[in-house]
Amino acid sequence: MPGPEPPGADRPLNVSILTQGAYLIVSIHTALDDSQMLQLREHLIAQVGRQRSRGIIVDVAALDVLDSFATRTLTELAEMARLRGAETVVVGIAPEIAVAMVRLSLQLNFVHTALDLEEGLELLGELTGLSDREALVRGSRRAD
Amino acid sequence: MTDTRSQPGPDDEVIVELVPMVRKIVASRIRDPEVVDDLVQETLARVMAARSRVQGDTLEPYAAVTARNLVASLARGNDRARAKTHLLADLEPSESPAEDLLRQEESSLLAQALDRLPTEERDLLLAHEVHDQDTRSLAEHRDSTPGAVAAQLSRVRAKLRVEYLLIQEQVEPPTDRCRPVLRAISAGDRRRQRELDAGAHLLGCDCCSTISAALLDRRASAPRDDDVRVPISRDADVVTARQRGREAAARLGFSSTELTLIATAISEIARNIVRFADHGDMVIRTVQDDRGRPGVTIVARDVGPGIPQLREALQDGYSTYDGLGLGLPGARRLMDQFDVVTELGKGTTVTMTTWARRTGADQPTTGPGRDTGSRDTGTRADQPPTRRSRGDDT
Repeated sequence: MPGPEPPGADRPLNVSILTQGAYLIVSIHTALDDSQMLQLREHLIAQVGRQRSRGIIVDVAALDVLDSFATRTLTELAEMARLRGAETVVVGIAPEIAVAMVRLSLQLNFVHTALDLEEGLELLGELTGLSDREALVRGSRRAD
Repeated sequence: MTDTRSQPGPDDEVIVELVPMVRKIVASRIRDPEVVDDLVQETLARVMAARSRVQGDTLEPYAAVTARNLVASLARGNDRARAKTHLLADLEPSESPAEDLLRQEESSLLAQALDRLPTEERDLLLAHEVHDQDTRSLAEHRDSTPGAVAAQLSRVRAKLRVEYLLIQEQVEPPTDRCRPVLRAISAGDRRRQRELDAGAHLLGCDCCSTISAALLDRRASAPRDDDVRVPISRDADVVTARQRGREAAARLGFSSTELTLIATAISEIARNIVRFADHGDMVIRTVQDDRGRPGVTIVARDVGPGIPQLREALQDGYSTYDGLGLGLPGARRLMDQFDVVTELGKGTTVTMTTWARRTGADQPTTGPGRDTGSRDTGTRADQPPTRRSRGDDT
């Protein structure tokens, strides 16, 4: 990211958040710095309440690294979300990132992981006890 | 002019007959005999060019009119030149008054800078640059070789640049180290810069960091070397640093796992600078070991408070802010070589290196199903991470 930029918190997050029924699906599109990670965490915790979400899927495939800070932020996100009644599944951890995380002995406590979005949705279904239909119906009912 | 023809044709004769008449017309209007000659010739040239278009009996009046027109247009040209003289006069001596002033200032700065050089060096430079003496004849005078003279000249120029900038900025370097560091940067001498630890000095010395910016600007247009420098002061810089590190290592053919390990280590160390030291920088350098194996070295420097308990800080879980305490020990685990030098109140320098694992003959692999994690451990045993600490016991 060359060139002058305003301080971290003011920059738009390169993250898209989809509301899929009872779930929030979060795709991170570029590398995020520390303040952006924190901003994302705050935003999602607020969103869980607003959308009455039961689950969050965070797709980290586009993140260049998952270092100690990113890992800690994800762990905190999962902890906080769980306190607000939502389970968190992290998907898309690349093989080389997994190697680096093991080398650093980083652990994603409270965080469930799955290979990709599809498996992540399946896992969320098991965790929340909602069938695919229920998850969607919940969403559509609220939309009325 | 017509005499040059050995055999004047009938056409030429007609033209030659016109000369006295044309000369009379022009001479009656213009005094300067040279201008008269010019105009007569110009008239004849035009008449000759128009010869085919003009009927024989109208040639004489055509010549007369042409001559008169030429005289008139000359007069108009002169008038215009006279009328515009004042405009031209201002433009000619210099592009603008400011430019002239700048040139004067520059030459006075340069003269002052030259004054600061030792006599011998100044004489050498002037002999070469002003009096155009080539390096060979200079070498003969001095019992030296042309190569040595050229090297000396480039050192003198580097020195001159430094003095020039110091005078321009009107500063006197605050420490004894400033001048050597600036000269090394000006000369682009990497070895000397490393010896002097120029980067650390620049971070701590405002004067030198201003001056060196101008010197580095100059070098930026010269062929680039492999060093990448990333200033670190805020969160976004951490991302930039790890991306630059990844790019540099990718050019050396590191695997994508190795690239991620390097990027992660950079991320951890760069974050420490933002958290503890406010600002610093990272230099990413491609290196080679004795066997020609390429590697990437990252030097992270800051002028922060230093690390009071280095030994503890290098252990897992030691954290002074509410982090995981994995910054230093984590980066150390990710890289082949790791070295911390810290001085309380002065700052911290972390130097870490990872060597590329060739999949070729010189680096036997453990098998087709090897994974990058386990093979790193083998290499690590040959090169135990080193650690130096200064001043952590005080």
